[in-house]
Amino acid sequence: MGRLLITWRLAIRDIERRRVQSALLLVMIVTTTTTLTIGLALHKVTDSPFARTRAATRGPDIVAQIIPPPSTQHGATRGFAPLIHAPGVAAVGGPYPIAFARLTTNGINVEAQAEGRDPGPAAIDQPALTAGRWISPGGVVIERGFADALGLHVGDAVHLNGRALRVVGIAVSTAQCFYPVSTPGVIWLTRRDAESLATRTQPIGYVLNLKLADPNSASAFENGNAATAFGNVTTNETETFLSSWQDTEQSDFKVVSVDQKVLLIVSTLLALLAIASIAVVVGSRMAEQTRRVGLLKAVGGTPLLVAAVLLAENLLLALAAAAVGVTLGQLVAPALTNLGNGLLGSPPTPPITASSAATVIVVAILVAACATIVPAIRGARTSTIRALNDPAHPPRRRPWLIALSARLPVPMLLAVRLVARRIRRSLLTAASITIAVTMVVAALTLEHNDQVRRQVSVIGTTTVAGRVTHLVFLLSAILIVLAALNAIFTTWATVIDAQRPTALAKALGATPGQITAGLATSQLAPGLLAACLGIPLGLALYQVAGGHVSEASPPVLWLLAVIPGTLIAVAVLTAIPARIGAGRSAADVLRSE
Amino acid sequence: MDGNDSVLSARGLRKDYGSGSGLVHAVRDVSLDLSEGEAVAIVGPSGCGKSTLLYLLGGLERPTAGTLQLAGRRLEQMPEAGLARLRRHALGFVFQAFHLVDELTALENVELPALLAGASPRKARERATALLEQVGLEDRLQHLPSALSGGERQRVAIARALANGPEVVLADEPTGNLDSAATTEVLRLFDRLHNDGQTLVVVTHDERIAATADRLITMRDGAFVDETKLTGGRARSLTEITGLDA
Repeated sequence: MGRLLITWRLAIRDIERRRVQSALLLVMIVTTTTTLTIGLALHKVTDSPFARTRAATRGPDIVAQIIPPPSTQHGATRGFAPLIHAPGVAAVGGPYPIAFARLTTNGINVEAQAEGRDPGPAAIDQPALTAGRWISPGGVVIERGFADALGLHVGDAVHLNGRALRVVGIAVSTAQCFYPVSTPGVIWLTRRDAESLATRTQPIGYVLNLKLADPNSASAFENGNAATAFGNVTTNETETFLSSWQDTEQSDFKVVSVDQKVLLIVSTLLALLAIASIAVVVGSRMAEQTRRVGLLKAVGGTPLLVAAVLLAENLLLALAAAAVGVTLGQLVAPALTNLGNGLLGSPPTPPITASSAATVIVVAILVAACATIVPAIRGARTSTIRALNDPAHPPRRRPWLIALSARLPVPMLLAVRLVARRIRRSLLTAASITIAVTMVVAALTLEHNDQVRRQVSVIGTTTVAGRVTHLVFLLSAILIVLAALNAIFTTWATVIDAQRPTALAKALGATPGQITAGLATSQLAPGLLAACLGIPLGLALYQVAGGHVSEASPPVLWLLAVIPGTLIAVAVLTAIPARIGAGRSAADVLRSE
Repeated sequence: MDGNDSVLSARGLRKDYGSGSGLVHAVRDVSLDLSEGEAVAIVGPSGCGKSTLLYLLGGLERPTAGTLQLAGRRLEQMPEAGLARLRRHALGFVFQAFHLVDELTALENVELPALLAGASPRKARERATALLEQVGLEDRLQHLPSALSGGERQRVAIARALANGPEVVLADEPTGNLDSAATTEVLRLFDRLHNDGQTLVVVTHDERIAATADRLITMRDGAFVDETKLTGGRARSLTEITGLDA
């Protein structure tokens, strides 16, 4: 009990004593765990959505439509006879009446396909509600992609051909592609409400859903004799349409696969950035804790007690950060996944599952363990005096960099030598900035591609391409924020690590301006490397995600602007911690050793 | 002595830390004039303000009150950048803990101040080599500090302090971390510097190094309490005082 109390007390006191460092560590682990939570949520979204939605809605294998001319309304459904009696058909749903009507809401006026349904559940194609309830007289259910595009929610009023109706539900279906892949958008309502929408110029049509004994034969069915017989109805000025579930999946997948690829790549990049952040945090933490181990041993702490204190302190921070990270991730993830509202998927699935949360917590505990084990082992293996006196990682000597730096102006000389001291940290910084620059270049390429498309066609911002660009921009913003935090933390870690050499440089005549410039430049070097690597990598990312760089490569000036842009951003971010580091009294540092 | 003729001159120097009940007077009303080529030793018990005074004289700390003049320039109001530039050329520091850069060789450590002062790499290298030869480390040029003994490290630090030909060398307990043999090496070096006319201020506990100075100042509670001229302007030789072979 006594040992537990001591461990707890020492851990809490040390966190209190190093408030700024602890807060920085907390921020970094919160960022990492939030990122990880979002990454896991994004992966869930891309998990075979069409198949899950088709199963949940008992999706049809074949969908047939008849739109008769205004003059021959009666007996139109007889055209479905060749399909209903065709061999291989296991079940039939419908026919359901459909009307093409003008929908007005919130000042928007668009065409909609209103499909009449029964109040009870259908055996084939029962749309899955994502909000609200199923249809009732005067109450309509709107396809989710269509509802999102129109900004409609349950309870909103809509007018169909001037008739006031109320939105009672929002649902997904695989009987047709989601809006805007398929236009006009689909609305479900009662048969009577649908039939009431018929006009002289827009008569009622019909839709029939078929289930086949062998769903995989749907494509063959589409080209078979029954389909040919059904298609011959056209000769009577009647329009017919037939599509298999594979057609719908393929059309949806063309769109969804772009989103999936983007989300998959970005979530991988987020994970990589998280690992880079953790490595920087743990590395700098180990450097400071080796001395602490020596101190604890000097006052009689056993290696076990030392390890327990370090673990308790790091665990406290990591668990607090994991809790905040999971909460923040849970808040942010839906905003990202909702961007892909056109994506099919099982909507009731919560973005963060218990297993995702557990993964994040385990990662946080692993971070704490990593930050503990190495200094604890190192502390146990080295003598108390040595642990007290020596830094955890003696800086590496890189003669060629030292020789090169002697030929450079003073800020560059200081910067190169600081980089040379901790080259792995600089490489990690470069890696994290490279990831952010890669995404920025990919986003610029997408944006440029969109601009070109807008010039040659009338595709609006609600198109899938526009949505993907929007998604990429938002995710790029998150990556930039993470990389920025990483750069600030790394600069701070460099400032702490370089206290003695910078104080010494001051004593030997380096001005505070030169020290600040040296510290900032030591971060600019990885920034420059990252900008140079990020440009080709960003273009490669665009290509991998399905774009064509040869057609969409942004102007060279745009790409070149990424280099000074990155350097300015890094300089601004690192200036404050560098200035604080340069401002510390050299006398204090030199006297304390 | 007229302060205007001094290389280094302090008047009414004071340094306070903290405030209210936590106020500490580290240095109280200290005045000091240092003429060219003079060696001054400052002695006193631990915590009496010796090191703080040294950092004030070197422009590494700002005085709370008083005036300070080095090489004809007032230090107390000088901006940080100006102080740094002055330190480059007019001052050399020797620390008790050596403060060598771990990843630089002896030669690279010594050439560092010259590079910071804007000297060409070739000139800085030549000067550093010559200085390390002067301190007897010509066979240790490419050694890292970790491969040098305590005495050798301090000799590298002394060579570094001389890199830009400073007007004054300020040494803070230069033998404090050394064993007896290493102390003798460093004592010999300071003796030679003094004989060559280098102006020195040495904060020390070591009576032998104090005895080689021209003036011995005793500090207590932040103030000068005693000042003794040892040889009337020129120190006795180390051999004379300690019986060592010069």
